[in-house]
Amino acid sequence: MKSKGSLSVSDESIARLLCDDNHVEEAIRLIMKKYGERLYWHIRRMVVVHDDAEDALQETMINVFKYRNTYSNEFPLSSWLYKIATNEGLKLLKNRAGYNLSIDDLGDSLKNSVRAEAGPDADEILILLQEAIALLPTKQKMVFNLRYYDDKSYEEIHRIVGDSINTLKTNYHYAVQKIKKYIEEHQL
Amino acid sequence: MKEFELENMSREMPYKMPEHFLDDLTERVVAEIGREKRRHKQRRIYLMFASAAAVAAVILLALLPFGFGGTGTGVPDYETISQCTSIDEIFQSISTDELGVYSMMSNYYGN
Repeated sequence: MKSKGSLSVSDESIARLLCDDNHVEEAIRLIMKKYGERLYWHIRRMVVVHDDAEDALQETMINVFKYRNTYSNEFPLSSWLYKIATNEGLKLLKNRAGYNLSIDDLGDSLKNSVRAEAGPDADEILILLQEAIALLPTKQKMVFNLRYYDDKSYEEIHRIVGDSINTLKTNYHYAVQKIKKYIEEHQL
Repeated sequence: MKEFELENMSREMPYKMPEHFLDDLTERVVAEIGREKRRHKQRRIYLMFASAAAVAAVILLALLPFGFGGTGTGVPDYETISQCTSIDEIFQSISTDELGVYSMMSNYYGN
């Protein structure tokens, strides 16, 4: 889902405000206006449940404030924000998994949450697609979501996720294969 | 089995985002940041006072041997006493206040 609130304020201006103690609140408001919706959906696709996405997004923005001095102008602001949001989403999933499970073991639980969270008028094929994504290993899921929904280049995904471009391409390829297989098997 | 074309799929999500959610969250985040800034300011003031107190304590400790009870008090040290030829000379080198203290101590311990 694309952001409705496209804002003309440049990332450079937002970054400048962010590093100025007197204008940091203004910077946070601008970030929320420009990237809030995109970051929300990025997190929601990872954690599925709205309440969890809300907690992770709030924590993301608090971390943007706390670690604002670590932001380097060499990288796009959006990559930095997505990276923080991704880490918060993963942290939340890790907490949900507990000590005995890994995040990848949460597939079935996330898949069940998809149907519970979907609206009553939601398209069945969209639910199936989200179920298929929920069952993917975490890395494949992140790469697929960033590429498919956020139109991120592999270069940008590399900045957010950290893996090599070739690994990311392989992950995306496998993710697409698994999603197609799942939908073809479950489609009426 | 029908072949599925991912490229033709809608990018829509089957979930909804609650209305005004982002505006409400923005206000909560800004309020939390305000609290965080105040906490940070208080921590800074506390650290400043703690550092000042530590510096004052260090200065005080450094001055202590010279200001109180050390060789700078006028109390004759062992060498001075050993060079004195008579007890009168020793008493001359002690101030009246110190003599008072010694006299109190000798009364207390019964000479």
